[in-house]
Amino acid sequence: MQNQKPPRWLSLLLSRLGDPNTLEEVQGDLLELYAHWVETVGERKARWRYGLSVLKLMRPFAQRNEEYSTSLLSPVMIRNYVKIAFRNLAKSKGYSFINVTGLAVGMACTVVLFLVVKHETSYDRHYANGDRIYRLETENIKEKHSYPGTYTGMANALHADLPEAERVVPLLQVGGTTFADPSSENRYKEKFVFAGNELFQLLDYQWLAGNPKTALSQPNTIVLTRTYAEKYFGSTDVMGKTIRLDDKQNLQVAGILEDYPVTTSFPFNMLVSFSTIKNVNPDYDLNRWNGWNDNFQVYVLLKKGIDPESLTKRFQGIVVKYMGKEALPDKRFFLNSVSNLHYGMNMSGRTANVSLLKTLSFIGLLVLLIACFNFINLSTAQAFKRAKEVGIRKAVGSNRWSLVYQFLTEAGLLTCLAILIAVLLAQLVLPIAAGALAVPITATDLFSWQTGLFTVALAGLTTLLAGVYPAFRLSGMEPIWALKNNTLAQGRPWFSLRQGLVVVQFTVSLILISCAMLINQQLTFFQKADLGFNKEAIITVGLPNNKPEKLQTFRNQLAELPQIKDVSFSFNSASAESNWMQSMQYRKGAEAIDVKTQMKMGDSRFLDTYGIQLLAGEKLRDSDTSSTSFKLLANEIFLDRIGIKHPADAIGEKVYYGDGKEFATIVGVVKNFNVNSLHQKIDPTVIQVVPNNFYQAGIKLQSEKPTAETIQAALARIEEAWTATFPNQVFDYSFLDETLKQAYQSETRTAKLIEVSTFLAVLIACLGLFGLATFTAEQRTKEIGVRKVLGASVGSIIGLLSRDFLKLVLIAVVLASPIAWYAMSEWLRNFEFKIEIQWWIFALTGLLMAAIALLTVSFQSVKAALMNPVKSLRSE
Amino acid sequence: MKRAFLGEFEEVVLLTVAVLDESAYGVTITQEIEQKTGRAVGFSTVHTTLQRLEEKGYLSSKMSGATAERGGRRKRFFTVTTAGRKALMEVKNIREQLWDALPPQTLQLMGG
Repeated sequence: MQNQKPPRWLSLLLSRLGDPNTLEEVQGDLLELYAHWVETVGERKARWRYGLSVLKLMRPFAQRNEEYSTSLLSPVMIRNYVKIAFRNLAKSKGYSFINVTGLAVGMACTVVLFLVVKHETSYDRHYANGDRIYRLETENIKEKHSYPGTYTGMANALHADLPEAERVVPLLQVGGTTFADPSSENRYKEKFVFAGNELFQLLDYQWLAGNPKTALSQPNTIVLTRTYAEKYFGSTDVMGKTIRLDDKQNLQVAGILEDYPVTTSFPFNMLVSFSTIKNVNPDYDLNRWNGWNDNFQVYVLLKKGIDPESLTKRFQGIVVKYMGKEALPDKRFFLNSVSNLHYGMNMSGRTANVSLLKTLSFIGLLVLLIACFNFINLSTAQAFKRAKEVGIRKAVGSNRWSLVYQFLTEAGLLTCLAILIAVLLAQLVLPIAAGALAVPITATDLFSWQTGLFTVALAGLTTLLAGVYPAFRLSGMEPIWALKNNTLAQGRPWFSLRQGLVVVQFTVSLILISCAMLINQQLTFFQKADLGFNKEAIITVGLPNNKPEKLQTFRNQLAELPQIKDVSFSFNSASAESNWMQSMQYRKGAEAIDVKTQMKMGDSRFLDTYGIQLLAGEKLRDSDTSSTSFKLLANEIFLDRIGIKHPADAIGEKVYYGDGKEFATIVGVVKNFNVNSLHQKIDPTVIQVVPNNFYQAGIKLQSEKPTAETIQAALARIEEAWTATFPNQVFDYSFLDETLKQAYQSETRTAKLIEVSTFLAVLIACLGLFGLATFTAEQRTKEIGVRKVLGASVGSIIGLLSRDFLKLVLIAVVLASPIAWYAMSEWLRNFEFKIEIQWWIFALTGLLMAAIALLTVSFQSVKAALMNPVKSLRSE
Repeated sequence: MKRAFLGEFEEVVLLTVAVLDESAYGVTITQEIEQKTGRAVGFSTVHTTLQRLEEKGYLSSKMSGATAERGGRRKRFFTVTTAGRKALMEVKNIREQLWDALPPQTLQLMGG
């Protein structure tokens, strides 16, 4: 009888999914029948019949549709809930409007933020070998800082000493180089990368033309993306054509790639073969082990199953082999997964600002929460209106759950309406938000299944958040009480939940307002701060070539222009993002003081052009370049570090370059000026004339506040002079004050976003307040009528209605001020130069909020106070 | 009250239960119908019909009679209730009335 058992999995299926009420006899019957079938029609057919019976008896199919369901979630009841919900929404149009608007705005914020966060977390996730791609990073153990770049010798070292690597891919990115199509004079300034064929095996590329195995094997070849092929030649059929690099070297197009996706940290449009480096820059040392640059990065594709953590020993070996044992305590190499690149420095120049994203998500949720609070407040406020309904429903036999479902349906319906509007809103504001956040997202991102899923989840969550409390509160009313008294509970608690929620709304709004004000104060401070030099009316242009005779021609040509006051050639501007740091040593007897110093390399005009004040000694001369007598200017902080009090005492002192023999003499002392952005302290700084490091010309215009026309005229003349001096190059200029402003871009962005969310939060809170005020006024119509009949003035009635709300604002001010103060002092820690947080900011925001609240409420209270008491008392 | 409605298959099942008297349960009913009508009936169809008839109040049931053959599980024995008998009678009466109303020549044509 062993083989007469039916298949086990079918029996299991039946016991899981069969109707538990009849399971026992069904299982028994089928066993008996199975035995019968095996005897009569054979085992195979018996199994078949058994299976068929089991399938048909499983509950989803065997559901008895004749059953008259008394379930609260049957289709009939759901239809009823929706119908009643519609009627209620239509009945109180005002409240529905407030709720839908608030929720829609809140949800639109959330949806947009979701898109931003989704975009920022989707970088570098699409490579086929993504889990095996790493970037080799260099850590300065003493500085506790790791850098994305590494030594140029590393590529060869890894080939020799890291057998775990399947591929080693060095990349060198170069910016600001002129590329030209020699046949058409199309000339552009571009960023490009030196790469080898290995890159195409590391990341995934789609080829329109060319062979990935050989495209970059030869020197002087270039691979372009589709967009760039079209940019230079107007078509993608350009294999074998020539592009001229920097007016020096012809490159042959050896491949065309499909454009890369937006979410990559490798947005290379022009890839030049690695071996071309020697032709362009013969001095470039590919075996260097002292000093590195972040533009040279090495990527590694590990063999399958290798854990990057297990390679520590290998890297220690590399340090010892190429840099010596003494480097071990300071240098460490490690592998960083490609999926982390977007959160730190990478070659795309786009980095996710994690803290900004977190702040934003938090604020977005707050705005949504405020909107939910509106819903909770307005629905519980209406409890009194709906008490009769609830009472009658309960008396007739409705149970609590059906009322809960009823109220939840109402919340759900509102949320659904709101989410429709929210999606429309999101579509409208997406381009603006994308611009403000500098995130390349478009409306197409809005209509993806992930967003759809998120929206549905968001709607569900919002419904629950907004609906659960009112649903339970309203459905919990005693029917007798609801029908008989029909007034609010006696002895109101001194502080109800409704008031609590209003206080929270106002607290959030107040925090946001004061933060926005303080951030703006700090930004104004950045603009107005005395930097120690004059940033106005200075135009900077790049110098592609700094041979002394070229510079002299350029200077002579500019000198003729009447619009120009002064010209200075230098390494960078008085304040810049990237700087040259140098260790200087001051030897006082046996004692040597090391100072990490910023080198400003500029000519004799540097001080005059940038308006830097000389405190003692004399200016530099253009001839101060002889290595036997280097001369330099030091700033006050530098003097302070080497222990000299009076500027005049420093003249004639010698300072050494590091611990070497070369030294320079201090010939002058300058007043402190901000060499960095205001985030950082002023470094000890020296200025020296080093002509072969002059890469930029600072051009000071005659007038301090030039008009647009004078600037245009000046620029045209400067371009003429520039192109005459540096033919076949692309002229590029910027205004110093704008360049400096870019250092504060992140703060400007934060300020803008906080302003917008503040506006939204206040708007939603006010909408809610308006609704509550309307409701209170309605509820107290009779009371106001009686008061007026007895002689109350309009003013006293307005006061009566407004007092309650003002009390709430006051509590909110008390709560919000310390929180805002704490948050802002944390934020201000990012800056070395910052504003003081003053108490009046909080007083001002409090006043502002009170005024806004009063204005919102007064619309209703004035209306109620002016109403003719005869009318309000007559109607019953 | 609405008149009792019995579907054709329901009627067959109900009658079979009446025929089997004391020993009517899932397996015997299925086999009996198969034998008597000569048509292949699925067990699940019989099962759901029995359930439906019980809900309508034409059948009552009780559990008993576990055997080893069934893995020790009890059977659900069905008996026809008074309402069930009434319904069957009613259907029979209607049929008979209709047969009686049949004109004699038609009856002859049908081979009766």
